[in-house]
Formats: sequence, structure tokens, C-alpha cells
Amino acid sequence: MKFTYNWLKEFVDIKISARELADKLTMAGIEVTALEKRSGDFVFEIEITSNRPDWLSVAGIAREVAAITNLKFKVPFAAAGLRPAKGAREKPVFQINVEDKKDCPFYSATIIQGLQVVDSPDWLKERLELIGCRSVNNIVDITNYAMFEWGEPLHAFDLSKLAPGEIIIRRAKTGEKILTIDQQERSLDPRVLLIADKSRPLAIAGVMGGQESEISFSTRDILLEAAVFNPVLVRKGRQLIGLQSDSSYRFERGIDRQTLESSRNRAVSLINRIAGGRIVSEKSRGVLSAKSGKIKLTALSLEGTLGFSLPLGKAAAILDKLGFRVSRSKNHLLVTAPLFRRDILSQIDLIEEVARVYGYDKVPSTLPKILPRPQVSTQNDFVRGVKNLLVALGLNEAITYSLVDRGSLSGCGINQDGHVEIENPLSLEQELLRPTILPALLKAVAHNLSHQQNYVNIFEISNVFRMVGGGPRETLSLGIAFCGKQAYLSDSGRIEHEVGVLDLKGVVEKILEFSGIKKDYAFLQAAPGEIKITLKGRELGKIIVPPAETLDRFEIKNRNTVLAEIDLELLFRHVGARIQFKPLACFPKISRDLSIVLKEEVSLENVLREIKSVAGDLLEEAAITDFYRGKQIPAGHKSLTISCVFRSPQRTLSDAEIQPIHARLIQVMAERFGAKIR
Amino acid sequence: MPGLDIEAYQKAFEGEIEAVDSLQALEELKVKYLGRKGILAQLTGSIPQLPQGERAGFGQRANIFKNRINLLIAEKQGALIPQGGPYDLPAASGVDIGMPGYVQEPGHLHPITQTIDEICLIFSRMGFSIVEGPEIETEYNNFTGLNIPLDHPSRDAFDTFYLKGAQHLLLRSHTSPVQIREMKSTKPPLAVVVPGRVYRPDATDASHLFMFHQVEGFLVDQGIRFSDLKGILEVFLKNVFGREIKTRFRPHFFPFTEPSAEVDISCSICKGAGCSSCGQKGWLEILGSGMIHPNVLKNVGYDNKKYSGFAFGMGIERIAMLKYGINDIRLFCENDLRFLRQF
Repeated sequence: MKFTYNWLKEFVDIKISARELADKLTMAGIEVTALEKRSGDFVFEIEITSNRPDWLSVAGIAREVAAITNLKFKVPFAAAGLRPAKGAREKPVFQINVEDKKDCPFYSATIIQGLQVVDSPDWLKERLELIGCRSVNNIVDITNYAMFEWGEPLHAFDLSKLAPGEIIIRRAKTGEKILTIDQQERSLDPRVLLIADKSRPLAIAGVMGGQESEISFSTRDILLEAAVFNPVLVRKGRQLIGLQSDSSYRFERGIDRQTLESSRNRAVSLINRIAGGRIVSEKSRGVLSAKSGKIKLTALSLEGTLGFSLPLGKAAAILDKLGFRVSRSKNHLLVTAPLFRRDILSQIDLIEEVARVYGYDKVPSTLPKILPRPQVSTQNDFVRGVKNLLVALGLNEAITYSLVDRGSLSGCGINQDGHVEIENPLSLEQELLRPTILPALLKAVAHNLSHQQNYVNIFEISNVFRMVGGGPRETLSLGIAFCGKQAYLSDSGRIEHEVGVLDLKGVVEKILEFSGIKKDYAFLQAAPGEIKITLKGRELGKIIVPPAETLDRFEIKNRNTVLAEIDLELLFRHVGARIQFKPLACFPKISRDLSIVLKEEVSLENVLREIKSVAGDLLEEAAITDFYRGKQIPAGHKSLTISCVFRSPQRTLSDAEIQPIHARLIQVMAERFGAKIR
Repeated sequence: MPGLDIEAYQKAFEGEIEAVDSLQALEELKVKYLGRKGILAQLTGSIPQLPQGERAGFGQRANIFKNRINLLIAEKQGALIPQGGPYDLPAASGVDIGMPGYVQEPGHLHPITQTIDEICLIFSRMGFSIVEGPEIETEYNNFTGLNIPLDHPSRDAFDTFYLKGAQHLLLRSHTSPVQIREMKSTKPPLAVVVPGRVYRPDATDASHLFMFHQVEGFLVDQGIRFSDLKGILEVFLKNVFGREIKTRFRPHFFPFTEPSAEVDISCSICKGAGCSSCGQKGWLEILGSGMIHPNVLKNVGYDNKKYSGFAFGMGIERIAMLKYGINDIRLFCENDLRFLRQF
């Protein structure tokens, strides 16, 4: 909202500069977001929180300024409204007909006849223009002026355009239409409240008037509406037709009797002064409450909430300045809020008022005693551990959007069912909650390649979403993407390494190791380019080499790319004792290498398992220590060195003991796997 | 040979070691004196032939000489080894210490994670627990339970993504619903911080994302006061932004707290004088806070006459941008390695 310094000065005799005032307002909870000097005045732009509709007016701000600067709030003109002229006869006679009191608790119509619609006087035009309101004509400008000054939105109808007899406040009928003053035809339905005459809608209640009955330069007689509409209805109505106005903004936040009367009286007297005419009648339907309950504010609660002793007398003085009625006892105050403070409902509201005006800066700082809760190891800690591990392995953490477009999923061959969909996305990129992190990681990879990176290694841990049994479910997932060529220097010069499935397998193995999982997992070739990772027979995740067409879609060209995704919640459920100390071996080891040539199709997993089972308890470790494919061995074969380490925890082993085991291993390798010994 | 004159040997040794100019010559000298048939072995070997009364004194002096030899050899070795390392590298290997060292490039945690970690660590040290909550929430936890009525203008500050076909389910628009969850499941006293992702349908630009991060914190116990909120947040903000910053509590409105305050820190760039970063105000808005509204305590089944508490919440992207001087919020979701590797 905007207001000006000079306008405010009409109600309170401010002694401080506009700049100082802006700071004071900000510190009292009226945040001044801009202050501009214009045409000999200062324009304040402020942000009003939704609990303070009374600040949506110059008078409301002036009351606050008076309270916080210790000055008087004064109304520089007769506050009482003008009454209908003696002996004036309303012709034709209008009835107000409110269909449902809940929709419109109060409606008043003031009929003024014989006025002159012309351009507004300069002072009125200028003042409205300063706060960003376009001048239309004197009548429309006055209704706006009164609203900005006092807070109640008013509407003037051209009386000659209304079907005589009745003004009706009713819900719209399905399919009913109205042309509003902004030249838009709007389709209505029963969720919208209307002002109508017998034949047609005249205005959308509290939101905008209709063009047919708007004030023109030929208007002579008007019906001036001042009403209170159900705030929820106004809110829904304006949401439905997608139109927020100064009027709907105020109605949504609530109007009280005092505000309504002040605005109407101000408008009527300005019309009388500027446009002439005769007030012929003023009638209303409904009643507005003129009562506020008493609220008790105790010294104990005040101190208990704020943390220091603020004298009740001081609190009473603050509330009094803010327009509250206060009666004081020894240990408490009985407080009645003014009508325009409909936000004040209980003691805590009073405490905030007192603290706010007293100054938050005067509240001391203390430290509470906190008893830490013993925390067991949580999934959160586990996730943090996984992140640290991945970073230690050289990966970089990414954060990508959890919302995706359908296209990027189907581009990755992900089926179309079971997605969690967003009802109100702003764009296609927000259609779905993602069931997988991988497409977003591919996008991040592509972004990096387009910025000349040769090697991308990123991961993300976030929720993924799926419909399960009719409801949405979120689970924590880890996605990893490797792309390109890793290069590093060594004594033999630059070494380049193209990423592949085994890079990701290595990472996944380290994660399993970190999770204390030593067995019951497997890597299974599920399809070309897809390796399934299982844990206790359940799918823990997969390693994927995306097909060329997927990579094309993401514009990843000529680069090895490998992805993995792991269900972290499943993994967390199986986390084992991570660290179990084993005594250090104190007897020497004996190592024996097996150098064998195998056919490509022989799985090394089987070979290693067989070695372990044949070698027995003395085998401490069997590890592949060298690997070769190439000219020196037959095509379709691979050559390996498997280093077997033997050790006993009780004694020093002798070569003679190990020799037969080694011989047996060689024999089994040949028999079971057709291995040739090199 | 000076016979059994230890002092003469020592003088000779000191002269010889002075002249040594290679590791090889040093090794030869070492053998000459300390070897199996070296001078020192000869000296100690002759002890039995000495008169009874001289043996002990001679042995002592021989020992001192030996220590002296060891010391000088070690010193010389240090001087002869190529600069830059304690390794006995053969000069011929041609190591250029100007070459970059061989090391695997470490990975980097996302700056948002690092900022969340820093915030959570500060609160952990003060005794707060870290708790997380789901991103899909009920309308009740996100709004109604927090004293934000449906169809009320106070909801306008929280534009929200709703789920299709799922009644009253939405993507949380703040981390505050975890207050409701945590308080419903746990009795006071309670001191908790909640980091997490939140969603609001905003058009993306240099200062808005439709998905971002918040850290929420709250504390409920008997006798918790507004002054405690001030104390805790001042400690927190000085930890993050430095001892010298000033803080300012400004009245504000949040439906779920009362009294409510927005907390500003003095602008770290202009030190409060006013610059373009702080919009000439000298202050930067950092977080929202307040005493938990009695209605919220009632909604979770707490006795609001007995217990009180405070709550606060902050946007992580904003704090990270201020801390690191990042000028475009979209960088956080681009995952450019040149960006990530700076943190």
C-alpha cells in the first residue's frame, strides 16, 4: 500500500522527517519498502501484514503514528455524516434485498440526486496519482479517496441504469455473465456473490463493478454502496475470476462498523462539496456488531511471555494510545479493543501489542536451559555418512529439482504409470514428482559437458515419489552419474581412464562396506546395459549404461556415461554393525599367485568363490592383482593374476603346508573353469 | 693412528665430515668410524687391555664420541638431501618440485548442504536435536494446525503445490509442519531443528526458485520467554556471520507465532551504512521467528498454560548467498562443477 507524508499530516501533527518516520514505522511492524520524494510530498510504500486491515488506510496509519510518536490523532473535518435533506423524497423507491445474511451481513445504500460528474479537482487527482491510482471522474475518485483514507471500499452506481424497485445481493447463477468496468466479460457461477437489480447483475460484490451501471459524465443520480461482505466469499470470488482489486483486498481482510461509517461519511461529504447534489435517502439492511469483549492482561503473563518485568502502568499507557479502553487493577488490566482491531482476540495479542510499541530492542536476551535429548543413530546420520564417503571418493554433490516434466521421464524409458502428479504446476517442468533422480542428473551432466568439462562425477540424495496403493509415497534415493574421461598425471605421464560400469560398482561396494553389509548382496546382469543390485533378494538399486537414444535426448555425445540409483531406505534398514575390530595378525603370511587364462564368459565372482571354498580356513584373502586382455593371449580370453594370502592366527605356516592347497587350486581352476595356467 | 687418543680421533672425524660432499662419501665415512671393523669398534675392543681404573672413564668417553658421530652424520645427511623432502631421492630421478603433486581431486558437498550442516551444528552444540519430515504433507500440518485458516489472506504468503487426485495433500511450503508432527509425537521439553526442501509455485528468477531449503527450529518447555528467543538467535547469528554483526528484532506477523519478529543483521557489506546489497537499509532480513502461538500448542495437545515455546525459520539459499557472495539463486540448482568445486 502507498500513502503520502502530507496526507498523513492532516491527521497527526508529525514533527519528524519522512526518513525518520519510515524507520519508526518499520520498527513498529509496518515495513516501509520504499520512500520517494515526489511533487513536494513523500510517497511511502509499505507492506501490511494480513492481521492488520486497519492499517490499509491513511487514518489507520495515522493512529499508529500518533501512538508511537506520542502525538494526538485528530480528524480535521466533521466526522459525522450528512443526513438526507429535509423533505427529500426518494423516487423511485429502492428496497434492499439480501438473499443470505451470511453472505452480506450489512448493506447500506445512500441515494444522491442531481450531482455533476466532472473531472476531479487538481488536489484530488494529484493525491490519488501519487499513490498510484488513476483519476477517472470526481465521483469515482471520491469513493477511492475515501477508501484509501478510511479503509472501506465503496461503490457508486448510476441510478438511472438500475431497474427500479430493488437492489438484490445474491449468488450468481451458473452461466450468468457480467461485463466488468475493465471491459472484460466474466462468466460466473454460484460461488460468486453479486449485486443485481431485477433484470441483471450490476457488480461482483466486493471485487469490481459492472460497466453498464458505471458512473459516466452524464450521470446525475447515484446509489452509493457501503457494505460488508463475507470475507471468504470475496476471497473465493476473486480467486475464481482471477482478479484482485484494492476493494477485494480490503474485504477479504475484514471490515468493521467504525471503518464503514467513517469511509461512507467522508465520501458523502466530499461528494456534497465537490459534485453537489442532494442526499435523498440512506437505508441499510443488517446490523454490524458494535461490541468488543473485555480481555484480561495479567502482569504475570506479560513477564512470563516477554522475559522481563514491564510495569502494568506502562502497558496500560501503550494500549491506551493505541485506542484500547483500559481499566487497571493491581495485578492485571481489563482491556477492550477498538472496533477496528478485530485481530485482538486474546491476551497474547495484547502482549504483542505492548511489546511491539515498547520496542523489541528493549527486551533483554537470555539463554534457556536446554536438556539435550539422547539421540540414537538416525537415518539422517547415515545419509550424512554416505555423503561424506562419496565426497571422499571424489564425487561432487548436486541438488536438482524434485519436480520434472513427463517428457524427460519417457526420454529415459520410464513408464507412464504410478507417478505423483501436481494439480497446479506453473510450467511443464513441474508436472510430476519424480520417481527417479537419474534424468535430472543426466541434465546436470549435459550442462557440464556444454561448459567444456571432460569428466563429470556427481551424486544427489533426495526423495523420489510414487503412487503406492492409491497414495503417494516418498522414499530416499541416491543417484550417481559418471561421464567422460578421468585424467591424471603420474610418473609415466598423463593417464586417462574412461568411466565404465566397474567405476560405479566400486562406489556401490564402498557404500555397502560403509553400511556394514558383508554378504547377501549381488550384482546381476539384468539386461544389456542394466545391472541389478540386490540385497537379501530385494532390489536395492541398479547400475545403468543408458542407451544411445537416451543420451542423444540429453545431448550427451561421444561420452561414456554410467548411472546408478540406490534405495537408501532399504539400505538403512539393513545397516549392520559397521565397525567390528579384528585383532591384528601376529604370524607371518604366505602369498601364492595364481596366474591363469580364462574364457571371457567365465564370471570372476564364481572363480573367487570357488577359490575361497577350496582353500579353506587358512586362506585370508584372494584378490585379483593383475588383469590383461590383448595380443599375448588368445582372442576371447582374459588373463589374470589372483593373489592368495594364507595365514594362521595360531602359528607360523610352512611352505609345505600351503603347497598342496596351491596345487589343488590350480587343479580346480583347470577342471571347473577350463583355466590355463601361465 | 692416534692410538687410543679419543680426542685426536674426534678432531680427525670433524675435519673429514666437513669435507664430505656426497651421500656416498658420507656413507663411506660412517663405515670407517662406525662399521664392524671401524675406529669406534677398535676403541671399545681395546678396553679390556686398559688398566682397571681407566676402563670406565674410557668407555664413557668412547660413548660420547659415538653419539657425536651419529649426530654430525645425521646433520650432514640432512644438508645433502635434495630440498623439499626427507626422501633420499637419487639426484638422477629429476623430480621437479615445481610440478603439481599427484593427488586425487576430492569431491565437494553442495554449498546448501554445507550451510545446513553449519546451522545444524551450531544448534546441536546448544542442545537441539535434528529431525526431518516428509515433503508431501497434509493441509492440516502445513496450514490449519499452524493456525493458518483455510480461505484466509494469511495463506497468500504460502502459495502451494497441491497433489492431483489426493485430497488435502500438498508439497510443504515451509518446514513448519514438522513442528506439528514433532510436538504431536513428543512431550516437552523439546528443542529441535529441521532442515529440508520446501516448494512454492514461484516463477524462477535470480532470487526465486520453486524448490528451496529451509531450516526450522523450535523449543518448548515450561517458562520459555521471548527473551530466550532473542538470546538463542543472537548466539546463532554471531556464530554464522561473525561476532561483530548487530542484530535487530522487528515486529511482524506470522499466524503460528505471537509475538512475532523478523530478525535482521547489520549488512556485512556496507557495515550498516546502506548499499545496494541491503537496499540502502543497512540491514539484511535473515529469519522469521516468534513465540509459538497458544493455538498451535493447543492444536498439538499441549497444555498452553503450562508450556510455552519459540520457533524460527530461515531460507538456506539466502544465507548461503550472503555468506559466499553468490548473486544468482539459480546457480544452486545448475550443478555446474565450476560452481560446486568452489565450496
